[in-house]
Amino acid sequence: MCDRLAAEAGVSAGQKLSTALGLEPRLAVSERDAAREGSALESLACWAGRFTPTLSLSPPAGLLLEIGGCLRLFGGVEVIVEAVLGGCAGQSYSTLWAVAPTPLGARWLAQAAAGEIHQEAPAMQVALAALPCGVTGWPDEVVKRLESFGLKRLGDLHILPGAGLRRRIGNGPVDDLLRAWGELPDPQKPFIFPEIFGSHIELPARVEHAEALAFAGQRLFAALTGWLHGRQLLVRACSLHLTHDDGAQSALVLRFAEPAADEGRFLRLLREHLSRLKLAAPVEALRLQADEVVSKPGASAHLFDQQPANEGALACLERLRARLGEAAVQVLGEVADYRPECATRQFDPATDFAFSGASTARFTSPRPLWLLPVPQALGERGVSPHWHGPLKLLSRAERLESGWWDEGERGAAGDVRRDYFVARNPQGQWAWVFRDAEGWFLHGLFA
Amino acid sequence: MSALPLPAALAEVLARGDVWRGDTLARLPEDAVPSGHAELDAELPGGGWPRGNLTEILVDRGGLGEMSLLLPALSRLSAAGGWLALVAPPWLPHAPAWAAAGLALERLVVVRAGRQAAWCCEQLLACGGFSAVLAWPEATIDAKALRRLQVAAEGRSTLTCLWRPQALAATPSPAPLRVLLAAGKGRLSVCILKRRGRPAAQPLNLSIARPGRTNRALVGPSLSPAGARSAAVAAVA
Repeated sequence: MCDRLAAEAGVSAGQKLSTALGLEPRLAVSERDAAREGSALESLACWAGRFTPTLSLSPPAGLLLEIGGCLRLFGGVEVIVEAVLGGCAGQSYSTLWAVAPTPLGARWLAQAAAGEIHQEAPAMQVALAALPCGVTGWPDEVVKRLESFGLKRLGDLHILPGAGLRRRIGNGPVDDLLRAWGELPDPQKPFIFPEIFGSHIELPARVEHAEALAFAGQRLFAALTGWLHGRQLLVRACSLHLTHDDGAQSALVLRFAEPAADEGRFLRLLREHLSRLKLAAPVEALRLQADEVVSKPGASAHLFDQQPANEGALACLERLRARLGEAAVQVLGEVADYRPECATRQFDPATDFAFSGASTARFTSPRPLWLLPVPQALGERGVSPHWHGPLKLLSRAERLESGWWDEGERGAAGDVRRDYFVARNPQGQWAWVFRDAEGWFLHGLFA
Repeated sequence: MSALPLPAALAEVLARGDVWRGDTLARLPEDAVPSGHAELDAELPGGGWPRGNLTEILVDRGGLGEMSLLLPALSRLSAAGGWLALVAPPWLPHAPAWAAAGLALERLVVVRAGRQAAWCCEQLLACGGFSAVLAWPEATIDAKALRRLQVAAEGRSTLTCLWRPQALAATPSPAPLRVLLAAGKGRLSVCILKRRGRPAAQPLNLSIARPGRTNRALVGPSLSPAGARSAAVAAVA
């Protein structure tokens, strides 16, 4: 098998390798690997789960999609065909296709590179009748035998009496013929979406720049999206395992703020992560694994067209987190602690807030909107503390004495004993200051 | 020619929607969030803080009441289920105070953007999922970046406030509303530098809720721990 560029140079299947290399010295030759072809077909089947839940594999390279039940959803057979072909091209698979009422008919027409849509059986039968016997994939001796009879087209074969034909070429081919024509039932073995998603891809060339992985990743994420659709799931976290050329493995974990099944969103997040990733060694293979999945809540679509919804706050935060780091984008939460520096906690957006509901009783005395990261020592002139001028104390002292339990622990606020005051300076700035054994400190701003 | 019918005709002309009088504020189709201060609402085009446009707040010092000025609008947005974002705030937000102001903390996002405040802001505006974005961009943010932010904000229903230093009051900016804040006598002086419609005549003096007792200042030593103790001793004696 060869690609378009090689075919233009005159290379074709069945040539000797030396002949092919003579025709096109730049030819990249690789061994055919049935296992990898099989896994590629399975990943493509996963991807096709977005179009129809009923599909079946027809190895080595065929995929049958039952689209009769989904025509109304997609708005016509042309639309669905266009979507499938566009998706295959996006993943850089070249396709031969056909639409027909019987599975075998569709397969033979596709193998003959028909690229036609036949929704009615008679039209399909006319098209099938014109096909050469070679497209059926029957054993060579059967095809040769038929040719020696002078039977070149399937149509010639179909008009012959069945019993005589059976005696000459065996039951299998004749049954195939009847199935293709729709005269025998042809049940297909449905493709079962795997219980756990894990898809593997070998890169055709070593990749040294992380950004270049986005393209290969696209195929994997396309398969993941189809699999999620097929199983009616949403993914909360998945990981991309990279195999380096020195055999080492590394993993890139993608975590979503809310469970999602949207390929565009996956890819945007992947690009953000890849733009920050430094590869230790060139990458040979990728494996995508869905780590945490949740089942999709049922939802009805709107009856009338709604204006397209925006991306939404959570999806946006996810991208910010990918670029700035998880810790840089957080929502606030209250903690029941009297020490001001301990009263605020940061949470990941969209975490479960059930536990933070037990909020502190509201303080009766005022609390400032802003706290300084570290209390700032204030000078003292005469009797009053100074901060851009003498501070005027405007409230009674509020004694906070708390925290003996984490005294001496690393990073803890420790035991504090402070008298807090609301104060104002001549510039009109309202400050929250405290006095402890070491003197006056500025701790917050009433902004 | 009689002069009598003229006023009626003039009133008719003035009542037409496409006639704008130079001494009135532009009426904008955009929606606005009432600021919670009637005097300020009267001066702001649309009757409140504009959504879908940049608002620049020029203030040099913290603690004047600049955030309290916005809190009524923010709590209204938060109560309606909206997400709020603080991008690169200069200090740490103190959760109990924000909660006491009526904001839902689980929808108050703090973004420590570092040097990417402008990018973050643009993303937050463009996603359309936020009701308010308050950002403290770097002082070096240029007109091009501001223009991008204004474009990102346009057509969204996000209340967008950029906090910038006062020194930039004379520098032109694409933000349609620019407000300069300063401390007045026990009040907050709000000077509208730029708005749609005729320029604002004079600064407003708004009374903002302030902590503590403003009428009676207490002098330091009498309330310092040592002073309190001596007062108690005196009471016992």
